Amino acid sequence: MYDLIILFVLLALGYIFGQWAEKKHFRSIIKREAQYRQILTFAKRFPLSNDGDQKAELVGGNVVISVDYFKRFVATLRNLVGGRVTTYESLLERARREAILRMKADAKQKGLNTIVNVKLETASITKGSKGQVGAVEVYAYGTGLLSSHAL
Amino acid sequence: MDFKNPKMPEGINVTDEHPLKNFLYLLLGVVGVIVIALLVLFYSIGFVAKWIPFETEVEWAKNIETSLVDDVKGDLLRDLVFPNDSIVSKNTPQNKLRAEKTRAYLQELSDQLSVAQGLPESIKITVHYVDQPVMNAFATIGGHVFIYQGLLDVLTSENGLAMVLAHEIAHIKNRHPIVALGRGLGLGVVLSLVAGVGGDSFSTNLASHVNLLTSLAFSRGQETQSDIDAYNTLLEHYGHGLGATELFSVLIDSDQSSGLPELLNSHPLSENRIERLNALGKSIADKCTDASLDCALMPLPQFIKLRAAK
Repeated sequence: MYDLIILFVLLALGYIFGQWAEKKHFRSIIKREAQYRQILTFAKRFPLSNDGDQKAELVGGNVVISVDYFKRFVATLRNLVGGRVTTYESLLERARREAILRMKADAKQKGLNTIVNVKLETASITKGSKGQVGAVEVYAYGTGLLSSHAL
Repeated sequence: MDFKNPKMPEGINVTDEHPLKNFLYLLLGVVGVIVIALLVLFYSIGFVAKWIPFETEVEWAKNIETSLVDDVKGDLLRDLVFPNDSIVSKNTPQNKLRAEKTRAYLQELSDQLSVAQGLPESIKITVHYVDQPVMNAFATIGGHVFIYQGLLDVLTSENGLAMVLAHEIAHIKNRHPIVALGRGLGLGVVLSLVAGVGGDSFSTNLASHVNLLTSLAFSRGQETQSDIDAYNTLLEHYGHGLGATELFSVLIDSDQSSGLPELLNSHPLSENRIERLNALGKSIADKCTDASLDCALMPLPQFIKLRAAK
């Protein structure tokens, strides 16, 4: 009886705060992506040219984002019937883009302008523990270069 | 070669669909399937359980009867629940005598009402009297009806008490306790299957929530049916339906209701029960103005109200 009321309160809280946080995060991501656009990132394993780079350093950035109660509830329902888990898709999209942005921020701080060999690692926190609202970690890393090519 | 990182278009990885729309579709779909499954289960068990012979039910009840009666009447429980309650009468010889008198009176009234209700010969009602200040009465398998002193305290007429007794007898006549037991068992099996297969406490949780609401709806239906049966029994026994709503009025005044909407209650709201009975009794009440009908309320025997001093 009261369980149901608690459930709906949790869902409402999860929805209101979760959506608010997500919208705010996406706005911030789009803004900062424009800001860091001059730092080029590539999945290519080698430097862009053989002109010789002045500097090469490991750069990385990671982020942990929590699932909210609403997202998890919808995902659990989705587990029963199958299909796109859209609530988690947006969560992971945020995590990936945020991690890349933090990697770019790291590169900028180190005075680099290009990142090659960019890789992403994803991990689930609280994986397997029941009754836990989980969180996702994304780590982006690559080789930061000070490349004349990009200048 | 020219190297560039152009701005990526939005909306490739993220859907535009509103999350609430997605949620509602999923919820309605899943809840719908669970409700349908439960309805099938409940109806089939309800249908089958009615065919269990009453003697078999009595046989099953024997195992729990002793423990139930002991539990309800036991001094141990009484002391646990009301450790310092001076209202509860102690186990003195006078109190024992009064309890026995009350029980005999309740049993006799119940026997008369059983006849008025047309209870089949095979079904026997056993009334148990519980000397505790709890405002409650219930029926369970094997034809056992429990009446608490707390209930007798708030009633003013025999008609009001007869309504309660007839209501409980109607539950037994309609085999509600055994049906409820069957549904509970069937549901337990299904839920443990879901838990075993699904392995996710979350979906089991949802299933049990939906089950709760579905079984409450069934329970309310049974209460309404018993109210109507009890009312007709009163008409048969007394020739009028006065006093039928007495307890419900008391319940409203005593603020015993949980304050939750009807959807979340096992019983219909007292207001709705009164309304339904009034609708049934409209023509009867008119008849009561007719002088040929004796529409007086029967008083309760004196000893029922007498609480022995501590």
